[in-house]
Amino acid sequence: MFSYEKKLQYPVNIKNPNPKLAQIIITQYGGPDGELGASLRYLSQRFAMPYSELKGLLTDIGTEELGHLEMIGAIVYQLTRNLSLEEIEKSGFDTYFVDHTTGIYPVAASGYPYTAAQFQSKGDVITDLHEDLAAEQKARTTYDNILRLVDDPDVREPIKFLRAREVVHYQRFGEGLRLATDRLNSKNFYAFNPSFDGKNFKPRMK
Amino acid sequence: MNEQQRLLRKVSTAQFAAWELHLYLDTHPCDTQANEMFRKYTDEANSFKREYEHKYGPLMVSASNEADWLKSPWPWENERSCD
Repeated sequence: MFSYEKKLQYPVNIKNPNPKLAQIIITQYGGPDGELGASLRYLSQRFAMPYSELKGLLTDIGTEELGHLEMIGAIVYQLTRNLSLEEIEKSGFDTYFVDHTTGIYPVAASGYPYTAAQFQSKGDVITDLHEDLAAEQKARTTYDNILRLVDDPDVREPIKFLRAREVVHYQRFGEGLRLATDRLNSKNFYAFNPSFDGKNFKPRMK
Repeated sequence: MNEQQRLLRKVSTAQFAAWELHLYLDTHPCDTQANEMFRKYTDEANSFKREYEHKYGPLMVSASNEADWLKSPWPWENERSCD
């Protein structure tokens, strides 16, 4: 169950529209390392997680990513308000505009639409947590690249917040991976799928 | 920033502290000090949230009725500052 709170995790208040930036930042809405993929990845992987701590971690981080998706939507929305046709044409936003006007659509900066083919849910705790660690780093790199391209402090502040969250999530996933390996038979961490081949579990810690 | 925005900022700050501790506790469930801090910030966030909803309208529909819920601002619209 999810219930909605009518606020952003971190405020977004952009004074100056800028369609060029919108076209770059939309990639964190629907691109290969974006917030939609992150959320679906964690919220899907959690069902096969063997330990309560990991089910909790994936539920929580997957939920937070939905809040980040909303922040990115707010940034793109505010960057594309009150545009003139001339601004749309000059900025290069016309290729997005022709398909979506100024609606928010999950797409990469390159124009490639969102696809679930960008993530996995492998049903193996070790495999999935490694993917999650990589995902957080890829998102962090994307936010670094966005910060290289953006000067407006109204846009930089929420992007810097989102970047910092990737670092925290990476830390928590690292702890989750350690928690999992501590409970596996050390002879075969990587030889079996501990979520499926139950015999390789150590008994649950109290 | 006006009074409403300041109070919303207080809600968000306390909620963020509680959330960060919650994530930490997912992987450190037996850390007593962190559990206490989590409780403290959760209570603080709830109390700021009640104050905000009382003064400025609902953050969750459960705190109100449909008409007030629809009237309260959507979070992706700018907080238009008048001061």
